[in-house]
Amino acid sequence: MTKEATYRVLLRPTEVELRAPAGTQLRDLLFEQGVEFPCGGQGRCRGCRVRVLAGAVEVNAAQRERLSEEELKNGWRLACQCRLTDDVVIELRQWDAAILVDESAFAFEPRLGLGVAVDLGTTTLVAQLLDLTTGHVMAVRTALNAQARYGADVMSRVGYAADKDHLLALAQLIRRQIGSLIDQLIFASKARRSDIRDVVLVGNTVMHHLFCGLDVEPLSHYPFEPQEGGLKTFGANDLGWNLEPGATIRFLPCLGGFVGSDVLAGVLATRLAESQEMGALVDLGTNGEIVVGNSARLLCASTAAGPAFEGARISMGMRAATGAISQVTVEDHHLDFRVLGNAAPQGLCGSGLVDAVAAGLDLEVIQPSGRFANGRKEWTLVPPVVLTQSDIRELQLAKGAIAAGFHILLDRLGASAGDVRKLYLAGAFGNYISHSSAQRIGLINLPVDKVNAAGNTALLGAKLALFSLDGEEGSYNGLLHKIEHVPLKADAKFQDVFVEELAFPEPSHVPS
Amino acid sequence: MSQFEEMQQAIIDGKAPVVKELTEQALRDGVKPAEFFPKAIVPAMNEVGRRMRDCEFFIPEVLIAARAARAATDILRPLLVGDEASRSAGTVVCCTVKGDLHDIGKNIVAMMLESAGFRIVDLGVDASPEKIVQAVQEHKANLVAMSALLTTTMVNMKAGIAALASAGLRDHVKIMVGGAPVTENWARSIGADGYGKDAPTAVDLARSLVAN
Repeated sequence: MTKEATYRVLLRPTEVELRAPAGTQLRDLLFEQGVEFPCGGQGRCRGCRVRVLAGAVEVNAAQRERLSEEELKNGWRLACQCRLTDDVVIELRQWDAAILVDESAFAFEPRLGLGVAVDLGTTTLVAQLLDLTTGHVMAVRTALNAQARYGADVMSRVGYAADKDHLLALAQLIRRQIGSLIDQLIFASKARRSDIRDVVLVGNTVMHHLFCGLDVEPLSHYPFEPQEGGLKTFGANDLGWNLEPGATIRFLPCLGGFVGSDVLAGVLATRLAESQEMGALVDLGTNGEIVVGNSARLLCASTAAGPAFEGARISMGMRAATGAISQVTVEDHHLDFRVLGNAAPQGLCGSGLVDAVAAGLDLEVIQPSGRFANGRKEWTLVPPVVLTQSDIRELQLAKGAIAAGFHILLDRLGASAGDVRKLYLAGAFGNYISHSSAQRIGLINLPVDKVNAAGNTALLGAKLALFSLDGEEGSYNGLLHKIEHVPLKADAKFQDVFVEELAFPEPSHVPS
Repeated sequence: MSQFEEMQQAIIDGKAPVVKELTEQALRDGVKPAEFFPKAIVPAMNEVGRRMRDCEFFIPEVLIAARAARAATDILRPLLVGDEASRSAGTVVCCTVKGDLHDIGKNIVAMMLESAGFRIVDLGVDASPEKIVQAVQEHKANLVAMSALLTTTMVNMKAGIAALASAGLRDHVKIMVGGAPVTENWARSIGADGYGKDAPTAVDLARSLVAN
């Protein structure tokens, strides 16, 4: 086998064909296809299991631990543990019956026809086509939000859309893009277009407004409250989509401020509102979103964390792409790295940044104030990747914003971090970040065993909503009145708590 | 270490009670209130500014140091008499503009300007152009410092400048702007007199604007 060898990967049921160099981690390939790695690709859960239908795929110790002899014999593997060493045909278990597998008491009636669930993110879009009778995922498509070139974060997009013509152009752009994703789903699954009855979209308040073509001016300044954040319903003709005229397209309602239906869907997916125990949902992104509470009362908030978690404004920061250090661990006082795409290290993505700072704190290269120890100006992790003092400051701003938001919501509930029984980390970053590093830097002030990577809860919630569109108990309508939005910026304590939360915890204060 | 050096160190270390004690002691020893500024407070805050610019100090350290400096200025201000009182470096109206609630950066700038000897009129956050005009008139300010942290609210800096112009005050005040999304170009395009990229720069800028 030469180093230049490439292999073919055929994915079922999506029929996507990929080519990649020998030794490529399956995780990297599949992540780009929308596959999730609930434990962050550590081989600790079985969430990413795939079935190898043709070709050879290695088995390692982690897989022997998690999969039975029988399963291994039948071709089951953990995608996060495998490298490409042969042409393969792989069946993706994750997209199959994700809803039905759930042994929950969630009441859904199988329905006739097909439905589409869309998570409209500021950066990425995910669309899934579902068989509403069986709950099977028939096809998945992901894309980068085409609006992103008019502003990477929500505020710059709001600024751009202040001009009415721009607003309409942005709405057209995203409607066309999602319409074309739906066309691709139909094509890939060979489904009948006329069988699609319902489309459910979820997204933050700005995405909601920019899809629906609503004036974003109220979102551009204090008090940042949407005036038309409710459920918006469209027919296929309104959007120029090639679906039956009878198909109904719903953009689910916003919760308040910048907190949109993606978080509403997240609450639906994690069932926070059904438990008497205190739970929390945190979506880490440029705009961090936080929900805390239980069946009695749920509070939600958004907090501007800045782009550090996405590797932006970090001197050697980059997206989670080939060459990014995604993981840093300390072994016997030296650093170990995981580099995406099996390539030479070029920079740090968000999870790598969090790990690097946590490692620096453990090695006492970084002081709890965030300052390098011993007058150091920068820290070479592995040439050429360097962590600078201002990189650490950027991460402190991001983690301080999230931790302060969490702190204030708990205060309002009269609760403390110790009362939280379960914390769900949502979103792609929540999947990749190391829970112990997140805890070490004080982003999460909870014992690691209470933290669960929940994957794309927005998409899962959107799928659940497809089964209960008529507002019966347990659906999103019931939730709307249970979740209260807290505008953090207007909280008199927020700035003080934020400043307090900027420092990293002393080693003795990290919960175990 | 001299009394003033000790005080400088206590400000840099953010030890407000020590600063208070040293100030009271020095006053008992006969030091004139006006002497503290050039000999202790201004050099200490210059050093805080340097450390901030070099990323050695971050928001918490700067805020704590500024609070320590305030422990001294709170005692000294009422003691400044006649000449000394009016010999302040200038009067600055500080605010975060309308629609914006970010006040940490603005507070740091205000506290550093204060320890550099300026009189501060702090309008807080979400300050309307009318409020700025009113404050400039009422306090006979010679400098206005506006902050914005959002691309969507920085347009209100422009509105502030327009309001000062239509009130006939534009020639009586210098205007400086700052905040994460603000740039030198933006400052120039809206007709501000200067842009402070960080708090220490803002202090230098304020000094040079009032000197001209």
